[in-house]
Amino acid sequence: MRKASEVGGRPLSLSNLEKDLYPSYGFTKAEILEYYRRISPFILPHLKGRALTLKRYPNGVGEGFFFEKHCPSHRPSWVATAELPRHDGGEMTVCLVNDLPTLIWVGNLASIELHIPLARADSPQTPDCLVFDLDPGDQAGILECARVALILRDLLLPLRLEGFVKTSGQKGIHLYVPLNRKEATFADTKQFSKTVAEALQRNYPDLITAKMAKAERIKKVFINWSQNDASKTMVSVYSLRAREKPFVSSPISWGELEDLAGQGDPEKLFILPSAVLSRAEKGGDLFREVLVKKQRLPYS
Amino acid sequence: MKERPLVRRPLPLPLTGRDETAGQTVWSGTISFSLVAIPVHLVKAVEPGRVSFRLLHNTDYSPLLKRMVCPKDGKVVPPDEIVRGYEIGPDQYIQITDEELDSVSPERSRTIEIVEFIDMEEVDPIYYDHPYYLIPARGGEKAYLLLVEVMRRTHKAGLAKFVLGEREYLVAIKSTQGALSLITLHYSEEILPDADLVPDERGVEAGKKEGMKKIIGEMTADFEPDKYGDERRKKMLKLLKKIEKERTPVEAPAADGEAGEGPVDLIAALQESMRRMKRNR
Repeated sequence: MRKASEVGGRPLSLSNLEKDLYPSYGFTKAEILEYYRRISPFILPHLKGRALTLKRYPNGVGEGFFFEKHCPSHRPSWVATAELPRHDGGEMTVCLVNDLPTLIWVGNLASIELHIPLARADSPQTPDCLVFDLDPGDQAGILECARVALILRDLLLPLRLEGFVKTSGQKGIHLYVPLNRKEATFADTKQFSKTVAEALQRNYPDLITAKMAKAERIKKVFINWSQNDASKTMVSVYSLRAREKPFVSSPISWGELEDLAGQGDPEKLFILPSAVLSRAEKGGDLFREVLVKKQRLPYS
Repeated sequence: MKERPLVRRPLPLPLTGRDETAGQTVWSGTISFSLVAIPVHLVKAVEPGRVSFRLLHNTDYSPLLKRMVCPKDGKVVPPDEIVRGYEIGPDQYIQITDEELDSVSPERSRTIEIVEFIDMEEVDPIYYDHPYYLIPARGGEKAYLLLVEVMRRTHKAGLAKFVLGEREYLVAIKSTQGALSLITLHYSEEILPDADLVPDERGVEAGKKEGMKKIIGEMTADFEPDKYGDERRKKMLKLLKKIEKERTPVEAPAADGEAGEGPVDLIAALQESMRRMKRNR
């Protein structure tokens, strides 16, 4: 079933709106598009000007998915694109989600998850922020990640760096340190995040590892510093995740994180679209500062 | 001899003029015999479907390197300390230089000069080494198709000497599925004698022979290679697809030098800050 529609003045043919893409929970494509429509004032500034990697689930979250870095050639003419250099010397056309019609078009492709690099397409070697991707190993979970995030906050403050956190929408937590300086390089952010991760591993050997190996991660949180790379992408803030339930990669204030970590109930760190919308519509974008705050990495 | 039916199987490549820079071209030149010269490209005809794996270190997933190691001290030997030796006896070698090796290497062939045409049935497949396709280069299409057709009808193959890479090969050029194929052949001295391996014929009863002939007759079918797939490969690819969905990929660490030890000042500042944090708790 296709439905001719108009979004933000652009004609869009929406397909399979009634299809349940989260079958074990019950969340249709129409509901996904409605979520992205309502969250658009908050998510668009974060997606704007960045090469989107689509992660498409044509048959729902239980079935297969595929990544698409190239902007599909069947895109409408009004979808903004950029040319990014490829490793092999060629170029690749990528989608830029700069407006609501593009966001809905992307959602209609069943790209449930929206992944973006840490740099903008017009300056692909300049990260706007540094990220600590906290990823729990076996027998660890989001509460351990919350503990590590709080330790990181306290470690960064004396270095005059403020961080902002969001849930990954899966089991992890992402801590963003805004830089927003054109002097920033991935070499510096990678070096800095690695040094911090290794220092934390030395001081909290039972809780933290800076090593990728699965065996090293049991009962620990892996600080994935290697995400600070031009070739890597992170799931966007406010993106849905393709889990059994439509959890969102949701920003969360430090106060909330402290409370929830103290309560010891991991469930509260999995946030659904309705809660994300009401929080954003009432309280605004908790991740706003990530886009504007200028900070400098010390000692680099 | 009975003319064989032409098995129509789509060739993987268009039989038209081809860009010489295309990646699969192994060699370009002409086939010639008598007054005929056909410009052609040599391309791979088979791609072994083996699924290959990298070996990783299980602690950090670094892909492992092969290195030449001296057994005496276990140390890696740099390339400029490596020479070639020809083994003449236990622990005895004669050393040979690259220049000496080059002096016996054949010149690269510009043409595949067919010296004689043979009946392909006379070539036991045990001589077959490696198959390639020959495809016509621009301007050679007509002569090429003519040769394909005539060789198919007469079931003849052209025999030629041909240098590919460092080696001179004996090759057979034959008609295959509407195209020319080139098969490198083993030299006869490479074929191992079977005399010592097989018992002699005496003692096989005539009745048994008839029985065997009957069984084979009943089991005779046309050769349809599509019927047989590499089942292990199929299963392997299916398994890998399944694992890819279920298992987060492991990543090798950044190569050396990309992000080594951090700046000393930063390490000290972090250490100091952590001491304070722990004290205040």
